[in-house]
Amino acid sequence: MEFAYFHLMPYTASPETTKDWPVPNHRFDPEIGHELYTTYIDNMAYAEECGFDWVGCNEHHMSPFGMMANPNIIGASLIQRTKKIKIAMVGNLIPLLNPLRVAEEYAMLDVLSGGRLIAGMFRGIPHEYVAYNVSPSESYDRLLEATQLIIKAWTEPEPFGWEGEFYQYRAVSIWPRPIQKPHPRIIMSGSSKRSAEIAGQFGAMFGIAQIKTMENARELIDAYKNSAREHGWEPKPSDILVGLSLAISEDADEAKEMLTGGRKFFAEVLGGGIRTAQQLVLHKSRYYDDEMKGKFIDARKAAMISVDDLIEAGTALCGTPEQVVEQLRYVESQLGHGVTNINMKTGNIPDEAITAGMKMFQERVMPAFQNGR
Amino acid sequence: MRFSYTHHMPYTGIKQAGQDWPVANNQFDPVKGSEMFNKYVEDKIYAEQTGFDWIGCNEHHMSPYGLMPNPNLVGAIVAHRTKTAGILQSGNILPLMNPLRIAEEYAMLDIISGGRLVAGLMRGIPHEYIAYNASPSESYGRMGEATALILKCWTETEPFGWEGEFYQYRAVSIWPKPIQNPVPILMSATSPFSSELAAKHHAIAGILALTSMEDGRKHIENFKVNARKFGWEPTPLHINIGMNCCIAPTYEEAKTILQAGQEYFFGVLGGGIRTAQKLVVQKTRYYHDQEVAKAQAQKFVNMRSGAGGMSFDERVEAGLMICGTPEMAIDQITNAYKELGMGRLGMTIKVGNVADEHVTRTQDYLRDIVFPAVRHLGEPEDPAAAQAAE
Amino acid sequence: MSFTEKTASLSKGSVKYHVGGEGRPILYLHSGGGIRVTQPVLDLAENHTVFMMVTPGFDGTDYLDGVDTMEGMAELAKEFIDSEIGEKCDLIGYSFGGWVACWLAVLHGDLVDQIILQAPAGFRGKDAPGLPTDPAEFVKVMYAHPEKIPSEDKPEDVLKHNREAMGHYHSGAPMDNALVARLGEIENLVLVVHGTEDGAIPKESMQLLKSKLNRSHLVYVYDAAHGLEIDQPERVSLLVNDFLARGEGFLVNWGDEAAGFEAVSKA
Repeated sequence: MEFAYFHLMPYTASPETTKDWPVPNHRFDPEIGHELYTTYIDNMAYAEECGFDWVGCNEHHMSPFGMMANPNIIGASLIQRTKKIKIAMVGNLIPLLNPLRVAEEYAMLDVLSGGRLIAGMFRGIPHEYVAYNVSPSESYDRLLEATQLIIKAWTEPEPFGWEGEFYQYRAVSIWPRPIQKPHPRIIMSGSSKRSAEIAGQFGAMFGIAQIKTMENARELIDAYKNSAREHGWEPKPSDILVGLSLAISEDADEAKEMLTGGRKFFAEVLGGGIRTAQQLVLHKSRYYDDEMKGKFIDARKAAMISVDDLIEAGTALCGTPEQVVEQLRYVESQLGHGVTNINMKTGNIPDEAITAGMKMFQERVMPAFQNGR
Repeated sequence: MRFSYTHHMPYTGIKQAGQDWPVANNQFDPVKGSEMFNKYVEDKIYAEQTGFDWIGCNEHHMSPYGLMPNPNLVGAIVAHRTKTAGILQSGNILPLMNPLRIAEEYAMLDIISGGRLVAGLMRGIPHEYIAYNASPSESYGRMGEATALILKCWTETEPFGWEGEFYQYRAVSIWPKPIQNPVPILMSATSPFSSELAAKHHAIAGILALTSMEDGRKHIENFKVNARKFGWEPTPLHINIGMNCCIAPTYEEAKTILQAGQEYFFGVLGGGIRTAQKLVVQKTRYYHDQEVAKAQAQKFVNMRSGAGGMSFDERVEAGLMICGTPEMAIDQITNAYKELGMGRLGMTIKVGNVADEHVTRTQDYLRDIVFPAVRHLGEPEDPAAAQAAE
Repeated sequence: MSFTEKTASLSKGSVKYHVGGEGRPILYLHSGGGIRVTQPVLDLAENHTVFMMVTPGFDGTDYLDGVDTMEGMAELAKEFIDSEIGEKCDLIGYSFGGWVACWLAVLHGDLVDQIILQAPAGFRGKDAPGLPTDPAEFVKVMYAHPEKIPSEDKPEDVLKHNREAMGHYHSGAPMDNALVARLGEIENLVLVVHGTEDGAIPKESMQLLKSKLNRSHLVYVYDAAHGLEIDQPERVSLLVNDFLARGEGFLVNWGDEAAGFEAVSKA
């Protein structure tokens, strides 16, 4: 099993609940923001010391949910602070961006890191489309075209042009070009069946950022595997990433308390504005089909369920190291994935508790999953 | 005098001049590129230790000329690895980008650096428009609107929308927002349009690639006239001049190094860009605007050899670059200050393929001998005024 | 816009052609499907005189004695330019016709000005898969959007005969090594166009061409297969017209002034 350490970089210093979209940034104190960045970057660099295989960033806009409008900027800093850990961008939100720019920035990161980039091609969550004033209805088509274009920009041996539906370039030859051959490893999101199929089509790795139910995750993984087979290849466990929240402590009750508090803060403070934007998109566009709309509502209900229920369902890791080992064994047996994406900064869980937990995870959980490494 | 360290991060692993546009990247060796990249990052970090006030990155696409398609990634590293130096991004090319994204990325840099960002808002050079398939004829219009929108993103206290000619957003409130208020901005001031726009937004005026002192004085005077129209008076610290710089034990050695570097810069690194430049001038296959084409071509010749096709020695004599012994450099900077009255000097030391050890040596001379002798030039005498100018 | 059918009397015999439009002359060398006046061809005729020469043996015509190689076809095209066009012209070659166009450029590059190669044949690597013989499979390889094939397309027996007629001119070898060796002699400005979904001609063929042609640009048309004029007519028209109007300057985005804009918006 490989482990990825993921961090949203939330802004936690403004505890009032909110439902506004966008979340007014007068609530953002830049001096505190500076300290948070420093703390978070140090924490993420520490993941290498704690034996994690990947460290992951992602893109969010206009809310305290995450402070990485361009995660590649944080990725560049992390590259400088680490030696061998993979730098996973999970991801850039491809339909919102100029694909050429993404190809260029990812190439810079790959070259800077000596080939340690894992390149996420993500569609993003609905509110980001409101932020960038891009039509959510075009999201899948843009993702498909842009991903093809980015791969071309990385691999074409000669300058080329592109005449597409959304993107047009007459002559492309990016400098620098990436170091990994044939191109940086790609990971795509698997939060819907359609996304899972696309990941299979591109021969990409597949990531479920946060599993909702075991059954849902299994369905998505099956959709991914089927699509891959249709396109003539067979995914390995190491092609499948599953994301789980983790709270770990010698005292199981303390871990539960931590996760419960963090989830409450996440739902009420960090996620409030985003849910408002989400509602606007769900009601007014074709972003999700009806099946997915239903799932989204399920997911919101899921935010309300207790930590005990989460643990029971296997959708969070929480408790003593020994309990976490058992919980993760269960998820692995159910899903057969090869990469576990660990998210410890849920809401406002204190940073000291997180660094202590990372060490504990390294010493007492990772050794139980050394198979196949 | 405040000094900034500008480094394009060129790819110097090719010997042959690529004249095609874009320059085929099969000439780029990623492993070599990785070493070069990381060496250049160290050079930039070293600039803080050698007394530079600002460390600069800039944006270029699809050629070996510069390896920073998004200079903010390198700016983030520099911000993270330095303590006091200003993080000069000169710049992001506004008309090519989503202005909101630039506002966000610059805000991130300002927060990461604890308020050290100097935000370059640039229009870019013609070939970048081909690279991004953006219309050069819209560049002025986009530049004006994007500048206004970015400043709004940084200063509005409540969420706002924007309905413009080129950009439309219904609700904006960027996270994070910058520490500095206002964020210092640097803009080019070498065309009537850019000079006026820079003056309107109280920017520091960037004047690069001087072709003569007279040319420089004219740009500065125009900028001052424009600033007065908007009701303010630029100080020396609002004027930033850019020059190549090479210091060695003898003039002959400095000349040999810099001249070869410039040859490489124009001959090898600049080849594809010149081709692209010509294309932007050429509107159709059957019809060229000959006058415009000639003027553009002349401009490039001027950049290479000064107005009227001057020799290297003549360009040094005319004060267009810093080249020679440390003592000569002191005289050259003093003289430039007398001629132009600027308070900021940007230096490109990695010119073309100048060897990295020569780059370091020049930086050491600057720290040990040159900077102490010229720092006082152009500084406000009253410390409070200096503070205010920051 | 209507095309009229004419006959040229050349030294080896008579050759049929279709001509239409007004403006600078351009010679169009068709694909293995034979002559098709597609939307991009109509757009082109808005400001060009388009000469579409029928390769002998295609579309129900007879073969000509002594014209049975690709070089021979290129010589025939040269004679056609001399006799029917009478001045230097631009050149489009599509698939099979692109192969002929390359030979024409090698042998008589001075007779033509700018060249557009649409998914040219003749450069398939030895590993490239062959074309399926089953008609349904064949359509899949050829078109990303078969629903756009016009209903008045030629009868299947004519198409089948056309495909066989290609064999009259080459041995079926996927790579024309003699031609590849001489591509560097072409000094004309060339635009190579290829569909991202092309199942007939692999992208490596285009990359090879791009690396060998001294003055060339390669542009991929997204969501188009081999039949790119049918799959994505607007995109093809825009590229072709802009390239013909601006030459190298087509790399620059001219906003609404794009040379191809008018023609396309009329379409």
